[in-house]
Amino acid sequence: MSDFIAEALQMVPAEAPDWLSEQRRRGWSSWKSSSMPTRKTEDWKYTRLRALEEGAYLDRAECQDPSSPALTALRDQIHITGLDARMLVFVNGFYSPELSSGEVVGNMEVVLFSEADETQVETIRSHLGTVADRDKYMFTALNDSWLNDGVFVHVKQDRKVTTPLHVIWLTVPQREAFSLSQRLLVVMEAGSEATVVEHFASNEAQQNSFTNGVSELVLAANARLCHYRLHLEEEHALHIGGVHARLDRDARLNSFHLGLGSILKRLDVVVRHEGEGAHCDLNGIYLPRHSQHIDYHTCIEHVRPHCTTKEVFRGIISDNARAVFNGRIHIHPDAQKTVAELRNKNLLTSNKAEVDTKPELEIYADDVKCAHGATVAQLDDYALYYLCSRGIAREHAQVMLSTGFINELINNLQHPSLGEYLKPVLGGLFAQQVTQTERAE
Amino acid sequence: MSEQIDDLIKSHYAAGFVTDIESDTLPPGLNADVIRFISAKKNEPEWMLEWRLKAYRAWLEMVEPHWAHVSYPDIDFNAMSYFSAPKRDEDRPQSLDEVDPKLRETYDKLGIPLHEQEMLAGVAVDAVFDSVSVGTTFRKKLYEAGVIFCSISEALQDHPELVRQHLGTVVPQKDNYYAALNSAVFSDGSFVYIPKGVKCPMELSTYFRINEAKTGQFERTLIVADEGSEVSYLEGCTAPMRDENQLHAAVVELVALDNAKIKYSTVQNWYPGDEEGKGGIYNFVTKRGVAHTNAHISWTQVETGSAITMKYPSCVLKGDNSIGEFYSVALSSNFQQADTGTKMIHLGKNTRSTIISKGIAAGHGSNTYRGLVRMNPGATGARNYTRCDSLLIGDQCGAHTFPYIESKNPTAIIEHEASTSKVSDEQLFLCRQRGIGEEKAVSMIVNGFCKEVFRELPMEFAVEAGKLLEVSLEGAVG
Repeated sequence: MSDFIAEALQMVPAEAPDWLSEQRRRGWSSWKSSSMPTRKTEDWKYTRLRALEEGAYLDRAECQDPSSPALTALRDQIHITGLDARMLVFVNGFYSPELSSGEVVGNMEVVLFSEADETQVETIRSHLGTVADRDKYMFTALNDSWLNDGVFVHVKQDRKVTTPLHVIWLTVPQREAFSLSQRLLVVMEAGSEATVVEHFASNEAQQNSFTNGVSELVLAANARLCHYRLHLEEEHALHIGGVHARLDRDARLNSFHLGLGSILKRLDVVVRHEGEGAHCDLNGIYLPRHSQHIDYHTCIEHVRPHCTTKEVFRGIISDNARAVFNGRIHIHPDAQKTVAELRNKNLLTSNKAEVDTKPELEIYADDVKCAHGATVAQLDDYALYYLCSRGIAREHAQVMLSTGFINELINNLQHPSLGEYLKPVLGGLFAQQVTQTERAE
Repeated sequence: MSEQIDDLIKSHYAAGFVTDIESDTLPPGLNADVIRFISAKKNEPEWMLEWRLKAYRAWLEMVEPHWAHVSYPDIDFNAMSYFSAPKRDEDRPQSLDEVDPKLRETYDKLGIPLHEQEMLAGVAVDAVFDSVSVGTTFRKKLYEAGVIFCSISEALQDHPELVRQHLGTVVPQKDNYYAALNSAVFSDGSFVYIPKGVKCPMELSTYFRINEAKTGQFERTLIVADEGSEVSYLEGCTAPMRDENQLHAAVVELVALDNAKIKYSTVQNWYPGDEEGKGGIYNFVTKRGVAHTNAHISWTQVETGSAITMKYPSCVLKGDNSIGEFYSVALSSNFQQADTGTKMIHLGKNTRSTIISKGIAAGHGSNTYRGLVRMNPGATGARNYTRCDSLLIGDQCGAHTFPYIESKNPTAIIEHEASTSKVSDEQLFLCRQRGIGEEKAVSMIVNGFCKEVFRELPMEFAVEAGKLLEVSLEGAVG
């Protein structure tokens, strides 16, 4: 057994609600019987876990003082103007009522697992762990075994929630490198509508955390969920996690992912179409730089007929960074009349950057229309020349074109205020690169 | 609908007959002595035996690969015979007239009669019957041009230095499980050497056929195109109907030195097994070429046979400005499984590669495209274009696409596109409306689907390929 597997087993939290023990036990045994992936493990072919094994993330997360200046300053940073959302803030995995804000929205139940009442516990138990497959995704098993709390979001039948829920997971460094787990369960009953923003952030100090985050989304018939998952942590924050969704008949999921790189970041996005007519829009952007590594594995399972998927992922890889993208579309034998499309575009902006992309189609039904495309290139020379010929410095022209490449997705977000929040953040990133090149010259 | 398809996909295997010739077959089993026997039988130099034994020792350490999208029962490598040569060791025929009439009848049934091909002028055939090269035609004419075209065992006798220089440089002994096995036990194959600046005066052709029951076929082909030379090589394969599985693990190595051009075409029609998926050939082949500066390697393949195919003809684009191409049509019907594709490794500057892959799955067939495009840091200005399309006929089949794209150079441009669909009802309707029968219409549509690849085949092969596809798809429409 590899060291990390044994070490992680030591870190199982002592306290947890009794009703979670079964889930924890299963996760524990599944994690215990797993082995660390190697280069030969297909799902981890391009991603090494060395940073995780060497980092000794052995400490437990500790509750932080919410009034510390570091945190109050962060609070303004993470607030998305114009989104008008209810904010739920966690610091190093602990709920912080002081930092959270916003009205409790009547038709959306939001509770912590540890504070759930009996009926809520029943609902949680019947859904938790049914979407994220712990035997297939080993870090889900780890998450299960560490499970002592989480966020439960429940929207009842035909309720339409207009106020978005903004769940923020903050990390600040602790004395020793530490691990924390995050869990979210969203249950959308038939005909309901809601928006959930998952936002991972940290202060600017060098982080020493490893986050294992799992989100499960359950959409009943006709439910609509607009979901965002933003990874904006500082580059030393490790993150391995995933979003797992199950869609019933005519449900619609709109999911947007943004990932800044880190020394190790791996995200699995899995969507299962389990009812006829379900639809999923899955979009994402990854922007690794410096020596970062980011790995997005998406998998769309078309189990039932007449479902549709549209997936677009774009990435800009600079400096010594490496990006991995694996987009899988799996059409099961009965899933006739499926229409699925996947596009992945990558820009390499440096001689040392690397991208490994693998769009996959696995099809067992004949009456389907499936397509995927992937490109890897650099910025268009003509476009650059055009801008330069109009007196724009080459570096700035590069920033403009890179921003444009990303903005095609940002501009189409269902919540424009989120786009307005992200643009300066990303713009700042590209501008930093320019100053770096200028300094280098 | 599926029942109808099951009823209808009964493609007749036209090449399924057994030629009853006495052959000199080794008892089943594999050990170092078997390798020594093969080597001694072929009167090979000492270094060759060492080379084989080294491969054998490596093979013993290796494990069978299981990553491909195919499933089959484990192969018992000791239940198979590793040498089977038609009995005529002393007086091997020198010309076609001396070839055993029964053998020639075999070729006649296959529709590639040697004498007819002789008349077709421009095609020289080195026929590998089971594992020993039987007759080589046009040898003299080629000899005048300086081209060496013979079986690899003859080459080991006559040109050992050339073989030694290049053998295993493209596919090393330890490359993979089946390549190691082949390196240890290969019995024969073809050797081609085109000298500097020579354009081979005719298309070269080999026909492989597994005849003996319970034998594996391990042929090894080595083609060396010296600077500025050009050659087009064709290969065809068939096997008789048998209800057990037979293994075919070949290795093909291409060396294209500066400015050389090699075009390698394959029409593979090994016995695919019957309607229940019983029997058929396991076709696990390693094919790879190295292209030096300005060289050009082109692979074209039409795969309609074999129960299971794992085959990835690859190009290592080592020299600047070199070009790699891969054109493929792979059909799997009944219970056939194919996991095939290519690898394009871009090392040099301004290297270019094109991949066109057409997969057709019918019945219970499973068709997988698996490809790799890798741009190494030195591949400045390199370019790749990949297009893989799959066509599904029937609701029990599967078509999969697994392209691996790895880029480490920002100036390299990679484009990959894939699509999967069925023969559309609209297209069928249009044809039917104009009085074209359903089967004919499907065949037309499929032929159109594969046109980009057929165009790359030499003329006479293109005709054969079109026909093969038609026969294999017979009745696949429900």
